[in-house]
Amino acid sequence: MSTPVSPGVLAALSPRDSEEGGTQAQLAEIDASCRGSVLLFFLSGMVWLLIGTVLALVASYKLHAPDFLGNAEWLTFGRVRTAHLNAAIYGFSAEIAVGVILWLMCRLCRVPLMAQAVINSAAVFWNVGLAIGIGGILAGDTTGVEYLELPKYSTPILFLAFALIAVWTIVIFRFRREKHLYVSQWYILAAVLWFPWLYSTAQLLLVMDPARGAVQAAVNWWFAHNVLGLWFTPVGLASIYYFLPKVIGRPIHSYYLSVLGFWTLALFYNWNGFHHLVGGPFPAWMITISIVASVMMIIPVVATAINHHFTMIGHFGKLKYSPTLRFIVFGAMSYTVSSLQGVLSAVRWFSETAHFTHHTVAHAHWGMYAFFAMTMFGSMYYILPRITQREWPSERLISLHFWCTAIGVILYVVPLSWGGWLQGKAMLDAQIPFLDVVKVTLPYLKFRTVTGVILAVGHVAFFANICWLLVRTFGPYRQPEPMILAGVRSEAAPVGK
Amino acid sequence: MGIITFILIGSSLAFPAVALYALWWAGRHGQLSHQDKASLLPFDEEEPLGQMTDMVLNHPRNAASASAAKS
Repeated sequence: MSTPVSPGVLAALSPRDSEEGGTQAQLAEIDASCRGSVLLFFLSGMVWLLIGTVLALVASYKLHAPDFLGNAEWLTFGRVRTAHLNAAIYGFSAEIAVGVILWLMCRLCRVPLMAQAVINSAAVFWNVGLAIGIGGILAGDTTGVEYLELPKYSTPILFLAFALIAVWTIVIFRFRREKHLYVSQWYILAAVLWFPWLYSTAQLLLVMDPARGAVQAAVNWWFAHNVLGLWFTPVGLASIYYFLPKVIGRPIHSYYLSVLGFWTLALFYNWNGFHHLVGGPFPAWMITISIVASVMMIIPVVATAINHHFTMIGHFGKLKYSPTLRFIVFGAMSYTVSSLQGVLSAVRWFSETAHFTHHTVAHAHWGMYAFFAMTMFGSMYYILPRITQREWPSERLISLHFWCTAIGVILYVVPLSWGGWLQGKAMLDAQIPFLDVVKVTLPYLKFRTVTGVILAVGHVAFFANICWLLVRTFGPYRQPEPMILAGVRSEAAPVGK
Repeated sequence: MGIITFILIGSSLAFPAVALYALWWAGRHGQLSHQDKASLLPFDEEEPLGQMTDMVLNHPRNAASASAAKS
């Protein structure tokens, strides 16, 4: 027999009861309510970004200098690369995403974040679980399943933390004051429901009670592809659909196209994972359906691209003023390019050459970094001054961050994609010894390490600017008044070019 | 394995059902219509339509305060 939720619990959570007459919450109240929790997720996400960057540099350097740190077993390539991936995915990307989700939901629902202790405890659980898991990976406890390498003694903690986050996002939605939904809310609600389903199913079938044989590969790619497309992609698109109109002061070009993009993503994306299994021991229809669904992804991608582009037309001059807009536009353009490249990569003839090469690594960074990470950086540039009520301390550090990450990721992705293609061609030629194939990739791998250093400079610049901002907010020499309210909100900023 | 199979098949059926319900709910509650209103939801009285809200770089105010600090 189910126990109904006590009206007392709901009443205690409802923000309506904390205000007289149920008047619309002011933006400042919403921002202030989000401050502690969002800062907690942002700061811990940034720490994981720096840890992930160091691990990435070590792993990248090892690919062309394998003796580097070769005497320490916990720093062998297999462990360092895996630790980098998990720090970047579950540390940086997921935690920043949760911070952005909370702030966006509160803003769009027009309610303050209630009972922050719940969300804060989720952040603590998430970080503890991840630290245990990455420590386990470095100690050699990886499961060996891509994107699910965290050992099984850490993943229940992560699941518990995310369940709290998902429930709390729905609680915010439940108490919304604005009844009409914006498209960003569709994406966010879908993302917080999709991820626990994907993660728990994959954990059950691959880690807790593993399926046997080829089924493992099918489940693995179902999860690995969907965690990008049904968790990170919706959060990235939710951010773009909010911040792009918000910054330039113009509504999205076609709301109809944005809704079409959401529902077609929901319909087609979850079939895509099996295109990674082209040539594998699976029924042909299974692979073919996945390739067809991958090609159908052209519909949401092109709808989104058209919408973003036509929204920005006439407003590109504003890129000069807004760091948020720079990162968000870069992320939106990267979404289009990386998604269309993903469609191409799903086709059999292309996959046969490119799949087991560095081309796939480049594609993953195009999606997860050039699209998602850049979009999250842009979102943080908008959110942090508002929740701290302080302006960014250094324009130079913002510019350094943008140019290092934008140029760095382009120089990372384009040459490595080409190097991966040459690697694939060489591997398909039975006359070429494997060692010669490895030598083909060497210049591209060395160049990748250089671009990794450029990206690292950008990350350090961003982290330094955030620390400076926090010193201004909480430190002994904090500014006497919030400049952002005096300088931006009340001033008539230029419209159009 | 029996319980896990039950959970997996159940969730696989429940998830599309939730999606279909969401689509039905959206249609019934006017979420798929009134699109002009929906597109204005990011804006409000404090950050209204027609106003840029993220003037951080190269702002004339920043240049003025920098030159004032130098002098």
